[in-house]
Order: sequence, then structure tokens, then C-alpha cells
Amino acid sequence: MRRLHPFTLLALAAALPLLAWILPAPRGALAPALAAATLAAAAGPRRVLLPALLTAAPLWFFLFILHGVGGMLVFGVRLTAMIASFVWLVAVLPPARLVEAMVAAGWGAPSAYLFAATLSAVPLLQQRARRIVEAQRCRGLSPRGSPLARLRALRALALPLVLSALHEVDERALALETRGLGAGHRRTPLAPPPDSALQQAARLALLLACGLALAWRLR
Amino acid sequence: MTPPTPPVLRFDGVSFAYGGGSGPPVLRELSFALGAGERVALLGRNGAGKSTVARLITGLLYPGAGTVWVGDWDSRGRRPEELARRVGSVFQHADQQLFARTVREDVAFGPRALGHDAADCDRRTAHALDLLELAALADEHPYDLPPPFRKLAALAGALALEPLVLVLDEPTAGLDRGLQGRVARALDERAARGTTLLVITHDLGFAAETLDRALVLDAGRLARDEPLHQWLVAPGRLAPLGFVPPPLVELSLALALPGTPVRAAAVADALAARCREP
Repeated sequence: MRRLHPFTLLALAAALPLLAWILPAPRGALAPALAAATLAAAAGPRRVLLPALLTAAPLWFFLFILHGVGGMLVFGVRLTAMIASFVWLVAVLPPARLVEAMVAAGWGAPSAYLFAATLSAVPLLQQRARRIVEAQRCRGLSPRGSPLARLRALRALALPLVLSALHEVDERALALETRGLGAGHRRTPLAPPPDSALQQAARLALLLACGLALAWRLR
Repeated sequence: MTPPTPPVLRFDGVSFAYGGGSGPPVLRELSFALGAGERVALLGRNGAGKSTVARLITGLLYPGAGTVWVGDWDSRGRRPEELARRVGSVFQHADQQLFARTVREDVAFGPRALGHDAADCDRRTAHALDLLELAALADEHPYDLPPPFRKLAALAGALALEPLVLVLDEPTAGLDRGLQGRVARALDERAARGTTLLVITHDLGFAAETLDRALVLDAGRLARDEPLHQWLVAPGRLAPLGFVPPPLVELSLALALPGTPVRAAAVADALAARCREP
């Protein structure tokens, strides 16, 4: 999968949630959700599928409380397809490769960076969150205990994460500006990822599938 | 080297590899002991295993083989929040751990988390802020301060725990000379009260001024364990491990000052004495 062109990976990750939302739920949405979960499992059951399922689990719980079993199934399957697709994409698509592909396709460097920064933010935040948890535990904070104690601990973990992330956005923007990101020149692609006619056809097919599904639903 | 007092921190044949032991070995049969109030520099190239030592002491990692003793506690099976009663630590990027509304509240976080009563928390917090000359900034929001002051605030948080052992990873990185002086004075005071200092640093000038003993790691093994002064004045031993003597040591060696002093005040005294010589 990692060898596929970044646009093919993006098309897959976009088409599966789109189909899950367009097709009637829960039955129609089940196939794209299962496909997304299968991709995530293939990329790593513990590293990719498990985090996706753990992220989706609280949403299923709240959907059950708000909408009962029926609503939970309708929305839960679709949201799971979205989350699994995104987590899978983050795992298999190195942001630098995406930037190369976008630049080679003629996109402006700032818009390419916007995509890449979104994808690269997840592992960076995970790493930083781990570091903050460790630092707070060394100051005596226990992340275990009653739900109330965990909720209290959450503040000590979430606030530094959010504040430092916001601070970093500022620094990154400055660093990019000083390295000419906004200079308006076309960036030179050094190693554009190889593409093939088959992959281009597959991307078109995915787009067509979404269009046809939408037309079928609107008829 | 035998520590002057019973050890408060002891590594007994500690080996460690990441990846549940399947990765390449990071530490190999590491053994040393630190007594109360000792001021120790943990030195070595990048990747020598220094930060892993710090993580083993704080309970963020457990040894693959051997034992880490913190006083009479075997670190294995003790959680970091439990070891925080005896070990204070400040890691690199410590400024990113602050979260309270004021510096004072953040410094008080550790003592409160460990269950000290309100009066004791206040005393520890005020003392830690005084040590680092942060009292004037105590009511500021930590994120309104420049990063070096945030780093000092994080250090104050560790000092407020009043631990047996203080493990600091690059405490002076990014600090100017003035702020480095504050850190040095605070560490002096802590060590004088019996806290054992284990400082990971590449700043040999700071180490020479503040610390007394050198533990030098090389590829996960203890390459040297000797008085810091003795190690610093032997450039032949520094170079193979990738170190360069600090300027004051080079001056002291070049002028063949008596006793080869390495601290600024001692070098100044020796120079003054040399000037007075007929």
C-alpha cells in the first residue's frame, strides 16, 4: 500500500467515508466501513486498527445514549469508516511524499504544506502527549483511579498539549516564511512518486463510484 | 569510587534495551552508587544512554537486567508517581509540561499531588521560587513567560518536591549566563541540604562550576567514574569521548596554574596570586 501514489491513497481514504455517508446506513455503509477497517488492520492491527476503534468507541457510546440502538448503528458505522480511513491514511502516507506528489502535480507549496501538516500533526501530537504524561507522572500525577481523578488529571495533560501545539504553529509558520514558502515560486519536485495509468484509472473509478452512488441516492 | 555516605541511588549491573529487550543494548551492566548530597555529572556522547539512565531512575522504564535502587526501594514495580516521593526530575522540553494558571500554582502541583498539607505546600513552593529568584513572576501565567523562564518554573516544580535525588536533563540548555547562575545557586543549596544531584549535561563549563563527580558513559558502559576535576584536567581522556575542555580549564592548563583549578573563582585567585609573584 505504501508504494501506491499518494493521490491513490488519498482517493481511497476519501472515497470510503464518502460512500459510507452516501449509501443507506447501516447496511450500505457497512461495506465501506469494513473496507476501511480491513485496510487499517492490514497496516497494523495494534498500531492502526486498535487506535481507530478506540477513537470510535466513545462516539458509539454517546450515539447510543442520544439516539438508541438504531441511531447508533446508522451514524456509528459511518463515523467508524471516517476514523478508520483517516488513521489508515496517516499510517501509510508519509507527509513528505504527499508534498512531492502535489508539487509535481502543480499545486502551490502552501496548499501542499497545509495537507501535509494536517497528516503529520497526529504522530507529533501523540509523541508530545506521551512526553507530557511522563513529565506529569514524575511530578506525582497519577493517571489512574476514579473517573473524577482521571478527569482532574486530564487538565494537566490536555492544557500543555494544546498550548504548546498552538505555540508551535506560530513558530512553524515563521520558519516556513523565512525559508521562502510564500515567495510565490514554483517548488522544484526532487523525487516525485511514480504514478501509473492503472492507478489513475482506479482513482477515476473511485470518483465515479461516489458520483454514481450519489446519483442513485438522489433519484 | 566509594560514596561518602550510604547510597541513595544505586545501579546494580543494570542492562537495558528498547523494544522489550529485543532492540540493540542501550545500557550494559551499569553499576554505580551515589551518596546523599553528591553532585554528579552524567556525561557522554549523544546516544550513550544518559537519558535512558534518567528514565530508569524515574520509573518510566524498568531495567532488563540488574536493579535500580532508590534508597531502599527497588524501582521495578514502582510507578513514576510513586517514585516522585524520592526522585525529582526535569527533562528536556520541561517548559512544555506547565499547565496551571500561575507559576506559583504550577510549582505547587507536585507537593499537592503527593499529598503534603497546605502549609507545607506553600512553604515548599515559596522556597523553590526564592531559590530560582522567580518570586516576582509567581503570579504570572507560565505561558506569558519566555521559554527560559518557563524552564526555570519547571525546575522550581522539581525543587518543590524536595526529593532525595534530583535528576536533571540538560538543565542549562537555552539559558543565558545569568539564568545558569540561578540554577547553579539553587542546586548548591539543594545539595548542601542533602539532595543528590545527577545532572545530564554537555555544558562542561557549567558542570565544572557546579558538580564534583563525573560518570562518563560510552556506548552504554561506564567509561569513567572519577572526580570531575580530575577528568577535566586530562584532555587526553576527554577527546576520545568527544569532549573538549571548557575554556577556563584550557587556560588553567596552558598557564600551568597550581592545582589546575577549573572553577572561575579558583582560576581568578590563582591568576591573582601569579600576578603578585615577583
